[in-house]
Amino acid sequence: MNSTTPGATTSYTVSFRYMTPVTTGSVDMLFCINPIPYEPCVTPPGLDVSNAVLSDQSGETGYTADIRSANHIVLTRTPSVISSGDMSSYKFDNIVNPTDTATSFSIRLSSYASTNATGPLIDFGSVKGQVTNGITIETQVPPMLIFCVAEQVSEDCSNTNDNYYTDMGQLDANSTLTAQSQMAVGTNATGGFAIMANGAPPAAGTNVIDAPSVPTLSEKGSNQFGINLVANTSPAVGNDPEGAFANAIPSPDYSVPDQYKFVSGDVVAYSPNVSLVRKFTVSYILNSSQDLRPGVYSTTITYIASGRF
Amino acid sequence: MKRFTSIVSAAFAVVIAAAYTIAIPVQPVSAQSSAALSIAPKKNYVIEPGKSVKDKLTIRNLDNSSPLQLTLRVVDFTFTDDGGTPKLFLAEDAPQTTWSLKPFMTVPKSVTIPKNGSKTLDMSVAIPAGHGAGSYYSAIIYSTGAPDGGNVGLAASGVTLVFTNIPGKVNEDLKLEKFGAYREATANNPASYLFLTTDEPQKIAYTLKNSGNVTEAPAGSITLNGWFGSPITINNVNPNGSLALIGQSRTYTACIKLKDAEVDFNGQKTKSTACDSPGLFPGYYSAKLDLFYGQNGNRTQEIIGSAGFWYLPWWFIILVIVVLAILAFVIWRVYGWVRVKLYGPQYKKRSSRRR
Repeated sequence: MNSTTPGATTSYTVSFRYMTPVTTGSVDMLFCINPIPYEPCVTPPGLDVSNAVLSDQSGETGYTADIRSANHIVLTRTPSVISSGDMSSYKFDNIVNPTDTATSFSIRLSSYASTNATGPLIDFGSVKGQVTNGITIETQVPPMLIFCVAEQVSEDCSNTNDNYYTDMGQLDANSTLTAQSQMAVGTNATGGFAIMANGAPPAAGTNVIDAPSVPTLSEKGSNQFGINLVANTSPAVGNDPEGAFANAIPSPDYSVPDQYKFVSGDVVAYSPNVSLVRKFTVSYILNSSQDLRPGVYSTTITYIASGRF
Repeated sequence: MKRFTSIVSAAFAVVIAAAYTIAIPVQPVSAQSSAALSIAPKKNYVIEPGKSVKDKLTIRNLDNSSPLQLTLRVVDFTFTDDGGTPKLFLAEDAPQTTWSLKPFMTVPKSVTIPKNGSKTLDMSVAIPAGHGAGSYYSAIIYSTGAPDGGNVGLAASGVTLVFTNIPGKVNEDLKLEKFGAYREATANNPASYLFLTTDEPQKIAYTLKNSGNVTEAPAGSITLNGWFGSPITINNVNPNGSLALIGQSRTYTACIKLKDAEVDFNGQKTKSTACDSPGLFPGYYSAKLDLFYGQNGNRTQEIIGSAGFWYLPWWFIILVIVVLAILAFVIWRVYGWVRVKLYGPQYKKRSSRRR
């Protein structure tokens, strides 16, 4: 478009490639708001191609313009085989721009063997354009993902308590050890985010405390390590997610109160689209059996925050 | 001798007690790096063979009190399930995927960012001349160090997904596997397509299998027609440009009615969307899907699908039962009245005697 001013009379250069190298006699150009060929065609308000003149052509040439209506042009020529897949361009003068700057418009393109754009369709596609009121300089906020982890974090990640481990105390077959940590996450990317928890259950050398692979109640006297991201009552540990925006949620398996699970690589929290920063509290439980081998049991859990594709 | 034996026994007891300690008291930890960062979640490039792109990675340290020490490395990834969550191959010896961007990408190995500061790192992607067309992708993972002390240490990592399309003739192959009304996963139920539901569906979904060698982001529309009310058209069924990775069966969901909101994210206005109640009438709905996909320079391809579902809320089911019951009663009464009219009141007496 030589000018994008709404309502201006200007020239359009439409460029495309012919995909099928067969005999082609006409190209249909229909100007609509919607590019989908099977949807009804709504003429962009203000657009008028009824006085359009084909002033230049390159690539596949030999066409003349047949003006059918205010939004419809058919290029027609003596049918001949498409000689190459290079770009073809057609310049039309005296086209009146649409007047609606809020909506883009499309040119639905289709090619035919006939000279009057009837009969079997060969190729189809569409191109889009939009009119604007002058040039506006504006900054765009790039997509960003905000994430922080610590024993305690503020909701905007500006402060943490600088504590990156949690000591759960002395293992005892008659009691459940608990601990919690926090993480805050948010993104303005339309695809949202996912947080994965990676690591191994607590181990002392080759002795490992097992972690259930499905949400399981805490059971004293059995070797068990698990986490969840909600408030629990038995034992009393953790908090529900905090923050006004509810787009970001714990994964279903980690959102059941009083049930715990840990599988390395699992997604523990996610948002399917834009989410303001939300704070999650991770609850940890550790149970041990009487015959658990002595040792110092420890692990490091890495929380990985990623955008979604 | 007795005193010596006591001392040795006491010392031995101390050693035994120490050996049976299965948790040690908290140790003070040495100065710890921050674990609060802001990164770009995704990068997209189109690079021709023989060309390269130089770009910047901006990382912010959100912590007001500690510097942020990060190590960077490039890892491959694939899909986790039918959604958009990556499955990262974190092992150092993980085999390279056929779509790996690792051999072509250069990133720094480490960076330290002062408290409340940011740094911009140079990165580049260079595609060798003559390289085949297609989609290539890997992830940059930024890791903080592992802490000292405690039973459970915490570490944070951020990930930037990097996608590169090499233009040219590619193999594109998307097939529609499923289509219809959809319910997201909850704590008690997995996500599922619905044929009959008593809850108003808010989403329509479609699942596409990508058997080509490029990532695809289809575009198109869905039209819903019910017994009552006007047709509903969902104009943009992939507003986020979500991708189906190579080999993935990707499920795309679209809200029947969208609710836009502008939110303040980190001091900037950002648009957010959520599903709103579409106000569906009870009854049967037919849905038609019309999708297009295709890379530049390749033929545009179309996918058409159709599906149907019943929306029968409980109040409607109860209403139908009540109406049917009333109808049955009326019919029975009318039947009795007609019999009396035809055969006289004695019919009524005979009928009573038979009972």
